[in-house]
Amino acid sequence: MSYRIPIGPYHIALDEPYKIEVECEGETVIGAFLKVGYNFRGIEWLAERKNITQSIALMERVCGICSNVHSMTFCLALERIGAIEVPPRAQHIRVLMAELERLHSHLLWAGVAAELIGFQTLFMTCFNLRERVMDLLESISGNRVNYSMNRIGGVNRDIQDSQAVREGVRAVRNAVATSLIPIFTTDRGVAGRCRGVGVLTRADALAYGAVGPVARASGIDQDLRRDAPYLIYDQLEFAVPIQSGGSVYDRIVVRALEILESCGIVEQVLDRLPEGRLHGGDIYTVPAGETVMRIEAPRGEVFYFVASDGTDTAARVKVRTPTFANIPTVVPMIRGAVLADIPLIQGSLDPCYSCTDR
Amino acid sequence: MNAQDLREHLGGTWTVRPDGWWRPMELDRLRSAAAGLKTGGARFVALTVRPDGASMKLAWHWDVAGTLLSLEAGLTPGAEIPSLVDIWPGVDWAEREARDYYAVNFSGRNDTPPLMLREGDAPGVLLRGKDVQ
Repeated sequence: MSYRIPIGPYHIALDEPYKIEVECEGETVIGAFLKVGYNFRGIEWLAERKNITQSIALMERVCGICSNVHSMTFCLALERIGAIEVPPRAQHIRVLMAELERLHSHLLWAGVAAELIGFQTLFMTCFNLRERVMDLLESISGNRVNYSMNRIGGVNRDIQDSQAVREGVRAVRNAVATSLIPIFTTDRGVAGRCRGVGVLTRADALAYGAVGPVARASGIDQDLRRDAPYLIYDQLEFAVPIQSGGSVYDRIVVRALEILESCGIVEQVLDRLPEGRLHGGDIYTVPAGETVMRIEAPRGEVFYFVASDGTDTAARVKVRTPTFANIPTVVPMIRGAVLADIPLIQGSLDPCYSCTDR
Repeated sequence: MNAQDLREHLGGTWTVRPDGWWRPMELDRLRSAAAGLKTGGARFVALTVRPDGASMKLAWHWDVAGTLLSLEAGLTPGAEIPSLVDIWPGVDWAEREARDYYAVNFSGRNDTPPLMLREGDAPGVLLRGKDVQ
């Protein structure tokens, strides 16, 4: 006989509210029902009432982890509508910030995963490395979370000490390559908790529209930085790590390898950082028009639809975050799993419920 | 199939824009187009809704190896949109959110429970007037 367990909206393992009702037979999960919306803030409603300059700050608050991604995507959409040129130096700085953000996001996730696995030492190691990246972000922008780097037509701040950024990123890469990846991939405890657990098949990943590392761990070879390049990504060399197993372990491996790729991208940007302006001056309106803008955030594809009527306020801003696409994949992931593995499996999505709810 | 093959497979008049390829879509052909996109290996990305006078404009967006294919349809007040959820499970949340935000009704679903709103809340939260604070 099956029974149903309501879990949430407050979780022991996750800091954000969301509810999952799990249907079990014994300790085996046979189905699940998800409920989100506990952090619904009406950001799309607000974006139609604030001017686009204010909305840059608003969009940066869609997500508390990948905040830069949202203000950047919003600015890129407005720049496309207005055919506004972004100076080369600003484009490089945007990529650098985006990759540093990916580093701190992936390291944060690795730490959370380590804690869920029950490996406290590894958790501390990951957060120590993440702190190094946070220090770099703070040294560049003055902020640790909402960096306020993006403006329409460029960026607000320059890279003052590129050597410090280079040294910091090298230290992170060395630590990840020599400590984190070997531990995550060879430790028997990690393998026992993660290999073959929470499998998302390629077919299910496609049917649910999974994005980012979750999709790539299920064998889907997609990354907008390569497939639909924006900014200067078409001028940079990087690999797109793919795994085919679709398990928690595969998602760990994909993100770990992506950390190394992001470090390489940051170094390439610093090597080729051109001189020049950061922006072309203040812009408060864009002409009437509409566009879709998509970029590859740490958790996967971010989708913005922005429509302008030529005034200083957007006529429509639609935001689809990566976790919005990924959370429904929890249902096929936990089907057949052991009840005790649910926190780790849903954690392996690297979910962000606040940005999902907006 | 690549994006060009899929456009040819779906037929109709496509317009290229900086963000991808767009095609006006008749609602009675939407489901067959969605099924064709699934067979062709596309990935569902998002459903966008925006007011267009007294009507609505909806666009379903798919990705094919980085190329965006968008099918756009108009919706007159009171009309229903055929649901795609049985073809694409990933469309479920997009349709529920469209109902939450713009009170769009979808036919062919067992039910359309709120996603962001609470049970019993009136759908169409983004239709509230700009004077509402």
